Amino acid sequence: MAPGTNGRVVQVEDTKICVVMVGLPARGKSYIAQKAQRYLQWLSIDAKTFNVGNYRRHDAPQPPAEFFDTSNADGERRRRVAAEAAINDMLGWFRQGGVIGILDATNSTKERRKWVYDLCTKEGIEVLFVESKCDNEELIMANIRDVKTTSPDYKGQDPEKAALDFRNRIKNYEKVYKSIDADGDENEYTYLKIMNVGAQVIINRIQDYLQSRVVYYLMNLHIRPRSVWLSRHGESLYNLYGRIGGDADLSPRGHQYAKKLPELVRQSVGDDRPLTVWTSTLKRTIQTARFLPENYNQLQWKALDELDAGVCDGMTYQEIKDVYPEDFVARDEDKYNYRYRGGESYRDVVIRLEPIIMELERSEDILIVTHQAILRCIYAYFMKKDQSRSPWMNVPLHCLIKLTPRAYGTDEERYQADIPAVSTWRGKGSTAKHEDPIPESNLGYTPTAAVH
Amino acid sequence: MDTLLTADIAANAPRYRRKSSTFIDGIHDVPEDGNRAPAQLYSTMSGRLFHSGRIAIVMVGLPARGKTLGVKTRIFHLGDYRRATVGQGGHVPEDYFYPNASPSSVVLRQKILKKCREDIYGWLNHENGQVAIYDAVNPTASGRRSLAKEFAKHDVQFANMDPDEAAKLYLTRMETKIPTFETMDEKELNYIKMINAGQKFFYNNVSFNYLSHRIVFYLTNTHIKSRATFFVRPGTATEEESYKADPPLSEEGEKYARVMTETVIKHREQERAARIAEGGSDVPLRPLTVWCSTRMRTMQTADVFKELGYKVRQRSQMAQINPGVCERLSERAIRRLYPEEVEKHELDPYHHRYPRAESYHDLAVRLEPIILELEREQNDLLIIAHESVLRVLYAYLMHCSTMDIPNLKFPRNEIIEVIPGAYQNDAKRIHIPGLDPKTVPGSPEDIRIPVPDSDVTTPAPLPGGGLSAPAVPPTAEKPPERVVNTAAEAVRDKITDED
Repeated sequence: MAPGTNGRVVQVEDTKICVVMVGLPARGKSYIAQKAQRYLQWLSIDAKTFNVGNYRRHDAPQPPAEFFDTSNADGERRRRVAAEAAINDMLGWFRQGGVIGILDATNSTKERRKWVYDLCTKEGIEVLFVESKCDNEELIMANIRDVKTTSPDYKGQDPEKAALDFRNRIKNYEKVYKSIDADGDENEYTYLKIMNVGAQVIINRIQDYLQSRVVYYLMNLHIRPRSVWLSRHGESLYNLYGRIGGDADLSPRGHQYAKKLPELVRQSVGDDRPLTVWTSTLKRTIQTARFLPENYNQLQWKALDELDAGVCDGMTYQEIKDVYPEDFVARDEDKYNYRYRGGESYRDVVIRLEPIIMELERSEDILIVTHQAILRCIYAYFMKKDQSRSPWMNVPLHCLIKLTPRAYGTDEERYQADIPAVSTWRGKGSTAKHEDPIPESNLGYTPTAAVH
Repeated sequence: MDTLLTADIAANAPRYRRKSSTFIDGIHDVPEDGNRAPAQLYSTMSGRLFHSGRIAIVMVGLPARGKTLGVKTRIFHLGDYRRATVGQGGHVPEDYFYPNASPSSVVLRQKILKKCREDIYGWLNHENGQVAIYDAVNPTASGRRSLAKEFAKHDVQFANMDPDEAAKLYLTRMETKIPTFETMDEKELNYIKMINAGQKFFYNNVSFNYLSHRIVFYLTNTHIKSRATFFVRPGTATEEESYKADPPLSEEGEKYARVMTETVIKHREQERAARIAEGGSDVPLRPLTVWCSTRMRTMQTADVFKELGYKVRQRSQMAQINPGVCERLSERAIRRLYPEEVEKHELDPYHHRYPRAESYHDLAVRLEPIILELEREQNDLLIIAHESVLRVLYAYLMHCSTMDIPNLKFPRNEIIEVIPGAYQNDAKRIHIPGLDPKTVPGSPEDIRIPVPDSDVTTPAPLPGGGLSAPAVPPTAEKPPERVVNTAAEAVRDKITDED
């Protein structure tokens, strides 16, 4: 049969989506945009944000509120120019193979939305509008104080004045703002409307799987304060012998760490609120978590099991190099993509961790006791680390990491248990059983916040 | 009052409940809790998912099916209770459906209502149910509020659904209620409004938990479309016994890949020709997308399609079930080395996980994203995967009991085609001609683990499901039906004289 009869209509990989943010300033649009971009990039889906504000700033670095008045013809024209520049760049990026472009701007009028919609549709790009609507004054003011007064628009200005100016700027947008499909005549668009940070959600005309994934992810986001604690299991017998994988018991020092962990956690949490503990299904993480207080709910996830080394499971690196010399070299050349024979790659692990990340975004305080490769992937998600570097990251044993997501970026603290353990970090090309990590392997972390 | 007395007795008799709605999907009726393996969508000791509390989905008469990946779900149709109560041949008082009915009708209505709700609580509280779907009209705001309050007393989460579309099907009955039908906008309740069969969703979400979110995600991904899904196995490999080695296709395997590809393509063309012959319009075939796993032999089997210009996608989640310590072990050896595990496995072959292995439930959980994407896919789909993966995907589409999943058979010389229907899917088996009978049976690729005896000789569908799982037709070249079991039988009496 000729390939032609196979037909070529919708293919998931051919999908291109423009996520168009909608909403007044200080509604967390940029927060949503950067979260979505990070999540997609972590999943190796090519995503990029185009912030119209950044384009406008080239032209008008610190404009007063009047600039945003719709009756100000000059301001109006310059803002339109900025939007056009952003969209042109985005369309160019799509032509070079971009998959999900995020247009971060207010897009607060029907005309503007139709303009964006038509431009994208003409190029075969699907449009997903994401509106963040908020009428809770407290939330808005908190957002203005936290984020906007530190924005480049107000650099070097009095924060109180800046907040006031920003409030006035919003008023100018409010004059023309029209919530999406508020009149019922934008019903043909695919959109997601989130009201008051998830109290109500409307989803309209989701077309394909990729869109539904983005929508589902965004629905899981919340802004309640919380932290995520990460720990590797205590030192295992395989760690001592320099063997990878397996399902070994803890070493005596590993058991010491397990005993010390509750105290370390309490010190880091600061109060008596209970955490939810997630472990893998392997003995070493379950043993590590076994002394945690009884009011901590403990859950085991198969998806948190260590990267499967396939035929190399249970070997030392020297043995791998001897038995599979080509594999040993291939892995060091591209550690993220190398898949062990009959096993997994880091990329495979990220795919299986996706439900975990979804659940983490939805949850509040969680303590995860898991394995080196898994921790590297979760850490890379929160700390925005690059795929080429995160598989080489040093994650020391007997150390508790606390991550606290903020509006822009994530805070990190580390707590050392002061129980010696072998190093399981390995440099490129090395077959050493235990090797001292080089400073670069800390991926920029400087242990200033460490508590001893 | 005589009617009511009889009604009570009738409503108390469980056999009046609809079969499809009372069937417990096997997993949760296992006698021993023994070695339940928990993970994200796992049943716990109680038989419930530990991430979630209990959820009552209250909906307007949609014939939904509770096939959420082994989550203990049951549908309670108020209408069934009404029919059971009134009994066959008995008649419903004329004013039964009217808002201002006569006192006797109101009493009857409340009685039926009470019975149905008591059953829900009983099931959630004493039978470890997790998701109860309460299928009734629930038209008034005050009624829904009091329902939520009532559920709250029983520590049940309340998720409300309002599929307007489905409601239209009930229009004749609805007419009488329309005057009192208030659309849902009670701010304090959790509810989902689904408008025009999934075109628009409206969530009012106060405290949705993990499972509620999964249900929501699932609902946004379902669509009604008549595209076919084909299941085939990969060709045989050079080293059949090993999971870890991930061996390439053998010569025979390569031959199989070619013949299988030809058969699929021919079959699709024939179906199209038949449609046209029956007077159907000459529409071009829907495009065919091929999914394979990242295991060597499935990728190589898909290569033939790739060369022909078909879209082939690799999905790492579709790798076969991990045999863990059972890798390369004979059944005898497994019995000798892990006697306790074998015992646990026989009690619950669906949930039990051998050391470092995956259970079928692990596999189902791992395949969940695939299932969602499958629901979304618009093209025809050919899935080339290991038998263990086909079992789970097939069981999902055909609504088989989870207890039967480990026993489903997919001989290599057959292509399974699943055609979606309005209420249930239909399956067709297409023979692949000219294969060496040696390559057909599924057992060599399997984990060599004993499957316990059961009365089921061919995998049975759900009672009321009405459709059968693949049964092995009695042709000469087919292997005996229960290869694995025969082996188990043979070994059973010899275990004592094991060295």
